[in-house]
Amino acid sequence: MKTSRRKLLQGAAAIAAAGLAAPHITRAYAQGARQARFVPHGDLRVLDPIWTTANMSAYHGAMIYDTLFGYDGNLQPQPQMVGRSNLSDDKLTYTFELRNGLKWHDGSAVTSADCVASLRRWAVKDGAGQHMMQRVKDIAAGDDKTLKIVLKEPYGLVLEALAKTSTPLCYMMKKEVAETDPNTQITKHIGSGPFKFVEGEYRPGSRVVYERNPDYVPRDEPASGIAGGKRVYLDRVIWDIIPDAQTAMAALMSGEIEFFEIPPLDLIDQLKSAPGVKLEVLNQLGNVGYGRLNHLHPPFNNVNARKAALYAINQEDILRVGVGNPAYYKVCGAHFTCGSPMEVNDGAEFLSMPMPQRQEKAKAFLKESGYDGRPVVVLQATDINFMNQAALVIAQSLRQIGMNVQLAASDWGGVVTRRSVKNPPDQGGWNIFITWGGGTATSSPINLFAHSAVGQNAWFGWPDNPLHEQLRNEWALAPTLEARKDVIHRMQKNMYDYVHDIKLGQWVGPVAYRGDRLKGILPVPEVIPWWNVQRIG
Amino acid sequence: MIAYIVRRLISTIPVMAVVGIFVFMLLHLSPGDPAAIIAGDNASIENIAAIRSRLGLDRPLWVQFLEWVWNTLRGDLGISIFSNLPVTTLMLQRAEPTIALSFTTLVVAVSIAVTIGVLAAWKAGSLLDRAVMAFAVMGFSVPVFVVGYLLVFVFAMQLRWLPVQGYTPIAEGLAPWLHHLVLPSIALGLAYVALIARITRASMLEVLAEDYIRTANAKGVATGPMLLKHALKNAAVPIVTVIGIGVALLIGGVVITESVFNIPGVGRLVVDAIARRDYPIIQGVMVIFAGVYVLVNLAVDMIYTFLDPRIRY
Repeated sequence: MKTSRRKLLQGAAAIAAAGLAAPHITRAYAQGARQARFVPHGDLRVLDPIWTTANMSAYHGAMIYDTLFGYDGNLQPQPQMVGRSNLSDDKLTYTFELRNGLKWHDGSAVTSADCVASLRRWAVKDGAGQHMMQRVKDIAAGDDKTLKIVLKEPYGLVLEALAKTSTPLCYMMKKEVAETDPNTQITKHIGSGPFKFVEGEYRPGSRVVYERNPDYVPRDEPASGIAGGKRVYLDRVIWDIIPDAQTAMAALMSGEIEFFEIPPLDLIDQLKSAPGVKLEVLNQLGNVGYGRLNHLHPPFNNVNARKAALYAINQEDILRVGVGNPAYYKVCGAHFTCGSPMEVNDGAEFLSMPMPQRQEKAKAFLKESGYDGRPVVVLQATDINFMNQAALVIAQSLRQIGMNVQLAASDWGGVVTRRSVKNPPDQGGWNIFITWGGGTATSSPINLFAHSAVGQNAWFGWPDNPLHEQLRNEWALAPTLEARKDVIHRMQKNMYDYVHDIKLGQWVGPVAYRGDRLKGILPVPEVIPWWNVQRIG
Repeated sequence: MIAYIVRRLISTIPVMAVVGIFVFMLLHLSPGDPAAIIAGDNASIENIAAIRSRLGLDRPLWVQFLEWVWNTLRGDLGISIFSNLPVTTLMLQRAEPTIALSFTTLVVAVSIAVTIGVLAAWKAGSLLDRAVMAFAVMGFSVPVFVVGYLLVFVFAMQLRWLPVQGYTPIAEGLAPWLHHLVLPSIALGLAYVALIARITRASMLEVLAEDYIRTANAKGVATGPMLLKHALKNAAVPIVTVIGIGVALLIGGVVITESVFNIPGVGRLVVDAIARRDYPIIQGVMVIFAGVYVLVNLAVDMIYTFLDPRIRY
């Protein structure tokens, strides 16, 4: 048989065409039952959920670690790794007994000694943990399954601190791992949670893989929040790190992935009409934006200047440009998150005043402050849409009342560095920066370090408000929800009188997932739970 | 020749030194603190300071620089501040997709560009020539990400012939590997095609006007051999030069293409590292990129001697 050059080329083309068609089969298999592909909001860069407070690390933690307690869907602490718990009559000793059958991923049993070491490491890094430890006399293991927290004085937030869903969560680790210095990253990733981390397939910036932990013993109760029975129906969960939102959206619509955590709100309409795609708000408390004021330097070391800014900045203006779709944002006057049990309106009445009237009041406050026209430096993170837009609106709002505003543009990394500088603004410092916190974290006066007002030792901005600190302690010691709420009324009134920072509104973001393939995704604030999720297509 | 190569390799040392100093200083003197980013939004200043101290970032800059230079000379590019993995490991994990994308882009772009450039020169002034030049202008003018999104929309979302994103290692089969590289290679290669096609056309036009081509025509040499053997070979030096120069274009384009098509390559690695100030990764990748660029240009100079025997070093 004679083989011509033409025939050879035709043969090669046919092979190439057949080869290119083959991956459809591969992809169909890869997307088969009991596997889900998830595009989270960022990259998992750090595998130690205590060393950093990055949300991605907290998500990773929720996959492979478990907690002693966990918030349920109503934000009430429920036992998780703990089977039985007891508070002594004098309210000074908590005794926790671990559930039967708890094992680490290497097969060894979870012991109370592991939990004691984990608690101690977590408490160094966490605001709620630090607050609790000031009242803790001792944390000690009894037998292998029992541990005790002995308090110096009654403290009502022990279970709340251990159960919280805001980062860093109180994840339990093996003793040998938990004894790592809190400021050094752990190097072993052995949890006792519902999934196992597949270290061999971990590609930072690209892919994270988890497999079902066959030895995990779920609780009997139905799953709720991060509490209840964490039943795993998926064999593998793959996190695909796709930094480009447009690409992630196209991948979801074409069925290459099943779950896209934060679709941009301006693309929501496209997703709404995509076949098989479902949109759902899982984190009902969403995020709370705030403009942080620097209390160390003029003009905001003067309460009247702070009040001037408070009255001049309109949440609605910021939300409209920063978030866009009114279905997903709301003006909120509560310092402790609208929609949370701590939502109150004390001091926020000014929000309903017409803007011209507010601006007049702002000008009057500014005059009273003796503002001398010095530049007010607003840090503008140009790589994060909300922060970028909010900085522009804030600058314009303050200019309208007569402030001399300078925008200092950089990326978020630059803002993060500069905000820690305590020098005056003209020597590398600042006057205002914009940030946001998870609604669950901001709902507690204790959990969020940014709520403290202890001057030089407070969070960036360094407010110094002794009455606020007194009320925070009072809140922490309050025995009931009603008693706490009573304190919150006074605390918020005081915060508005003092003006710690300026609330910029609250917003939620829907997740987008293939409703034709997945079901059972739980609405949990600040963590994406993969237990309870079932593959249906 | 060998002496020339050795001389050229030695001359890369000051170039790499300048690159190293520039990259290090640019990074460390620009705002941004990895410790603050690691610590997260809820961290105190003390917490950040403790992490900074752990990472050794509180030491004098010259100490950090000398340590980095010494380790780099020993082949140790350091440990990623965030992932705690060696930079060389991270780069090796990411090298295959980037090399694959660059290779397929280069092959596709050079094949198409030289062909259409030769044809355009051969039919200078014709409709084909104008079409090729119009294509070249478009290739230069349309940004890579726009081409990428358009290709995804048409071939992945509408026709469903090709995947939207991702990369399959070649170890999992040639077909899936190619399948994931078709769209990114076209998107990345478009500007490259435009650049090479224009130079090929210009260079060919010059050669086609030479006396020896007229003589070849007069002797009755067929068009194919005349274009490829007589003209293209003599027009190749500027084409090879622009291919070499275009590697810089390719490196820049890889960064964007890898983001649009979610290819876990070195480009994305360095972009992510810049956003979070992961100094060892940025420094390591920059030095490697600079080294690659210098070596590509050396290779181009070597290729000249094969294309044109008159060139001697």
